[in-house]
Amino acid sequence: MIALHDVTKSFNIGKPNPFTAVRSVGLTIAAARLTVLKGPSGSGKTTLLTLIGCMARPTSGRIVLSGDGIAGFPGGEEMRELDITSLPERFLAGIRRATFGFIFQHFNLVRGITVLENVMLPAYPTGERHGEVRKRAVELLSLFNVERHAHSRVDLLSGGETQRVAIARALINRPSVIVADEPTAHLDTDLSREFMEIVGSFKREGKTVLIASHDPLVCESSRVDTVVEMRDGRILRSGSAP
Amino acid sequence: MNRSIERHRNILDFALSSLLRRKGKNVSLWVMYTLVVFLIAAIVFYTHALKREAALILQGAPDIVVQKMVAGRHDLVPVGYVEKIAAIRGVTAVRPRLWGYYYDAVTGANFTLMASDDLPPGTADIGNGIARTMRIAEGDFIPIRAVPGATTLFQVRKVLPYASELASSDLILLSEGDLRALFDFPRGFATDLALTVGNPAERATIAAKIAAQFPDSRPILNSEILRTYDSIFDWRGGMMVVMLGVAVFSFVIFAWDKATGLSAEERKEIGILKSVGWETGDVLLLKFWEGAVVSLAAFLCGVILAYVQVFFFSASLFEPALKGWAVLYPRFKLVPDVDPYLLAVLFFLTVVPYTVATIIPSWRAATVDPDAAMRS
Repeated sequence: MIALHDVTKSFNIGKPNPFTAVRSVGLTIAAARLTVLKGPSGSGKTTLLTLIGCMARPTSGRIVLSGDGIAGFPGGEEMRELDITSLPERFLAGIRRATFGFIFQHFNLVRGITVLENVMLPAYPTGERHGEVRKRAVELLSLFNVERHAHSRVDLLSGGETQRVAIARALINRPSVIVADEPTAHLDTDLSREFMEIVGSFKREGKTVLIASHDPLVCESSRVDTVVEMRDGRILRSGSAP
Repeated sequence: MNRSIERHRNILDFALSSLLRRKGKNVSLWVMYTLVVFLIAAIVFYTHALKREAALILQGAPDIVVQKMVAGRHDLVPVGYVEKIAAIRGVTAVRPRLWGYYYDAVTGANFTLMASDDLPPGTADIGNGIARTMRIAEGDFIPIRAVPGATTLFQVRKVLPYASELASSDLILLSEGDLRALFDFPRGFATDLALTVGNPAERATIAAKIAAQFPDSRPILNSEILRTYDSIFDWRGGMMVVMLGVAVFSFVIFAWDKATGLSAEERKEIGILKSVGWETGDVLLLKFWEGAVVSLAAFLCGVILAYVQVFFFSASLFEPALKGWAVLYPRFKLVPDVDPYLLAVLFFLTVVPYTVATIIPSWRAATVDPDAAMRS
């Protein structure tokens, strides 16, 4: 479970152009459920995702992880909950690596290297044996039916294939939380539906899924458990999906 | 422990594939870097080996040479000085030497003519440089123009051995009688006196005694000759400083360029790595390996190329500029001799600054929040 308590994130504090992207957000994201952050551009969805995913720190407020979410973090097995707000950067990197799997809007794969290397990348600093990581990466690529491209450069893939590689990369460290930012923004309808099917399988495996999107195909999907509507950095309403 | 090794291995693996995907840029960096290391290493190897060669030659040189001066001009020494100098305590032996410089108008070169006791009249031993320049072999005749203007022919008995070429390239050995006739040296005079002194610590004192006893003499210590050789061959020599300066300056520009710039793509990649769970330390390790691979490969190649060039090809690239002979370039193979201290200095002056230069901009990029990658 992920709990946010009165979280605010402001940028450019003390400069002529300060602005607040997230304002006093309180939210609980249930484990093993699919939650969608819905709202127009500039509503603060992506900022909230970066705060939950330990990519940035809130200006004020607390974010607390509990349950399976902290099991992969060193020493996490003995903790009941973990306040990630005040952790030093290297611990945040450890949580990003062990707990979260990220699927970015533009996929953010590293150009010029192979599909296989891209998938293995998040596991390199863990010190896991190269052969084991490689084996797991190949399994993930075959799961998403792109293993034939394992040794191709990522720049040569189609949009759908690129996204499946990005999903495989998000899963390489066996995270308990999958975070996806506008994952269908660059996909056609068929590929968007395929993505939602894959996301449904994550839920069945007991993973927590958090998606920021304003695509009706995502927000109105039957697989979604909770929709959180945002506007101007605030939560308008939060409830079960229709 | 194993995890730490695996982490290094994985990151090194990625560093290598990172270098390969920017092949054009990295190969040109490596070539440029190798060239700079090659230039610096070749100069260092060359001067060190040449100094060693010169020092070896000087081992057989007299401990003190006594010349006679007339108002600052070098003049012939009366052989009568020999007995008086030999009587000074500490002097083991005094030997008068006969020699002189000779300008050969045909080749445009200056030769050193010297008297040798074991040569019969009418014969000569010549240095390799002279044999090459004048295309003369053993048994041929070498023409030398004597004082009155008449040319005398000497039969070449032997060409002096290859190993001593640094000292003997321009040397012609003749019998004493022939040399006196050529230069019109009067009997009872020599060009200078070569002294042997038993105790090296006494050389300076003996030189001072000679100077006091013979106010018209100029004693030159072996160490002073060594110092002169040093200043000729050492890297303080003008040509060396210019070449080293150019090489170091180009290296500084090159490292500075690396230190000040990270492309937008490289910044984005650092953001991606951080967002997928790499720590700042992991990114720095990656950049360290990238820098270390390029700089170590360039260092090794540069040093090996310099070694081959200096010790197998006799520094053919620098020969005309650095050996210092105008016409008679000595040809000899330098004995491979590398000073580990100089090699270590070279390593720390090239590999370390470059590796640090690659890390600094990455460190700047890696210490920002990774959410920038999320928004890109």
